Amino acid sequence: MAAVATCGTGAGSTGSVVAAGSKNHVTSFQRRGPRASGSDSSYSRLVSIAGTRPSVRNGQLLVSTGLPALDQLLGGGLAVGTVLLIEEDKYNIYSSLLFKYFLAEGIINGHTLLVASAKEDPADILQELPAPLLDDNFKKDFDEEACNHKTAESNIKMKIAWRYQLLPKMEAGPVSSSRFGHYYDASKKMPQELIEASKWHGFFFPEKSSSTLNIEPCSLTHGYIKLLQFIQNIIYEEGFDGSNPQKKQKNILRIGIQNLGSPLWGDDICCTENGNSHSLTKFLYVLRGLLRTSLSACMITMPTHLIQNKAIISRVTNLSDTVVGLESFIGSERETNPLYKDYHGLIHIRQIPRLNNLIYDVSDVKDLAFKLKRKLFTIEFLHTNTDRVNTEKTFITSDFRVIHVF
Amino acid sequence: VTPSEGARGGTGRQLEMESVLALRGLVLLRDSVEWEGRSLLKALIKKAALGGEQVHILGCEVSEEEFRAGFDSSVNSRLVYYDLFRDPLNWAQTGEALPGGPLGALQAMCERTDPGPVTVALDSLSWLLLRLPCAALCQALCAMSRRHACRGGSLAAEQLCVLGLLHRELHGPGPMGALSSLAQTEVTLSGTAGQASAHILCRRPRQRPTLETLWFSVLPDLSLDLQGGPPLESQPHPDPHTPQVDPASHLTFNLHLSKREREAKDSLTLPFQFSSEKQQALLRPGPGPATSRIFYEPDTFDDLDPEDPDGDLDV
Repeated sequence: MAAVATCGTGAGSTGSVVAAGSKNHVTSFQRRGPRASGSDSSYSRLVSIAGTRPSVRNGQLLVSTGLPALDQLLGGGLAVGTVLLIEEDKYNIYSSLLFKYFLAEGIINGHTLLVASAKEDPADILQELPAPLLDDNFKKDFDEEACNHKTAESNIKMKIAWRYQLLPKMEAGPVSSSRFGHYYDASKKMPQELIEASKWHGFFFPEKSSSTLNIEPCSLTHGYIKLLQFIQNIIYEEGFDGSNPQKKQKNILRIGIQNLGSPLWGDDICCTENGNSHSLTKFLYVLRGLLRTSLSACMITMPTHLIQNKAIISRVTNLSDTVVGLESFIGSERETNPLYKDYHGLIHIRQIPRLNNLIYDVSDVKDLAFKLKRKLFTIEFLHTNTDRVNTEKTFITSDFRVIHVF
Repeated sequence: VTPSEGARGGTGRQLEMESVLALRGLVLLRDSVEWEGRSLLKALIKKAALGGEQVHILGCEVSEEEFRAGFDSSVNSRLVYYDLFRDPLNWAQTGEALPGGPLGALQAMCERTDPGPVTVALDSLSWLLLRLPCAALCQALCAMSRRHACRGGSLAAEQLCVLGLLHRELHGPGPMGALSSLAQTEVTLSGTAGQASAHILCRRPRQRPTLETLWFSVLPDLSLDLQGGPPLESQPHPDPHTPQVDPASHLTFNLHLSKREREAKDSLTLPFQFSSEKQQALLRPGPGPATSRIFYEPDTFDDLDPEDPDGDLDV
């Protein structure tokens, strides 16, 4: 008998997997198990950690990268235990923005942050995070920026739809949200109280390094060793690898490493072709081992346009799980290309991991472009204007009038 | 990136020059064999010294006398000069040299600066880059601005200017790229027909980089003279980005047909189009039954009824 339980009755009904990721279990389907109505989180394998959800394709636990559009391109989000490598654009404007979105998403979801940089103090980086978008403000801005081919009726429909997607009204307290993936306002800074309420660890390499030692070939540079030890300590002490059994509430550790491979880490792959070419690859290998055995996700930005030895770039790509390249049009000849005049750069999805899967989850369209508007960072499919010719949009309004818009 | 050239009013240009040359952070002066940059470096030093800033100079490529030539006494008295030219490896052991070699000299220079606006001139950064590992030099340059900021408070990060003279032809793309990524401003010297120009690329922290071009000359008393534009007779053709970029090339989908493809497309008849060729082909009886006959040898299991070959008569 297929029991369709009414909402609210929790009696054991047909077994079905609980949709994890939301703290409020509004569904009445429950897992058929030894304890049908158990609320003890220690037995359920699908832990409901804030800000995560299982992938609909392979059940992998995912966290959001901070950009819902990027989540969609990566197959739902960033899998816990993997590395997302961002190949920086030439002037490091957009990649640092993606980095900040990743950290801001961690703060909103209550994850623990680990920020490592050799150029900027992590405390300064956290001060620059974008503010999350609220319900009313976003609706207002969306109406302002509405494209000219939306009719008023569709606007009404969009307003209703958008309301479900956004955060609840923000009070003075920290934002608690059960959504996956939030929108951020790049022109405003994250409120100070949210940053202070969050838990974060900073690694600023110039402060941790004692001296500039000579580098032996084929070994890790000093900076990388220190960073790996720091990450390992945090994972162990805070129990992200399950080593601290009395921790009841599991949490995700978000690791953000900025400008990995630049000379400020003491690595010279950006300076010469025949430098210490194994240091960075060893670092990534050890880092991946640390991540796989803990509840953490890592985003690394790397200035690959400076790396002289191209073989290293392919090795680095193989050692990372997801690789996204950013190419901005500033200063290049593409800026004058009329095809690209609406956009600020291209996004190349170079690699998507096959986690417990045989096939990739690659989208069919390879031409993706991004644009940084005043508040939002949008990713769109690149199209020529000829695609738009002869397309019309048809709307059916509530009183069954059909409207064509050209 | 908007290159802005062209003749403008003199005073307007002067004000703009002041704003563009409000150089802070690491400034790379990239010169070449044809267009040398030391005179521009000295002009900027003079401007800083007359503006009341402390000026520290690390001299490596030329002797102190040669470097100080051209400055008048008021400027010369304000310059703090560290000489690495005469005795870079400290063989004379006079005790007045800075310890730690060139890297130690950089760090010591930073220790000795007082809080306040400071200009540090490195003559030249190329000399240091050829003798020190690039990564160590990059770290030292970043550490300089950070240490200065630590001592001075929140505004002090804006008050240190490190002018580094870099000779473009001496280095490969690796070190140049690494230093460019660290620099807040890059001034590339070039010119046409005797008139020097400076292409200034400014990277502000969270904004798009801006590119400006200034035409200038350095007068004998080391002051900067700005021209409105290049000399008229050698005005470069103002279209460096020809030809017009075709937007539909280099895409993963193909929007163009070659001539052969277009001809083939035009001459193709569609399957349901009843053209005259098809009509003729149907009306013509054909070359004859001899070429299109079917020969069939029934085998033992074939149960073909000659009066009912299709087997559908219900008899």
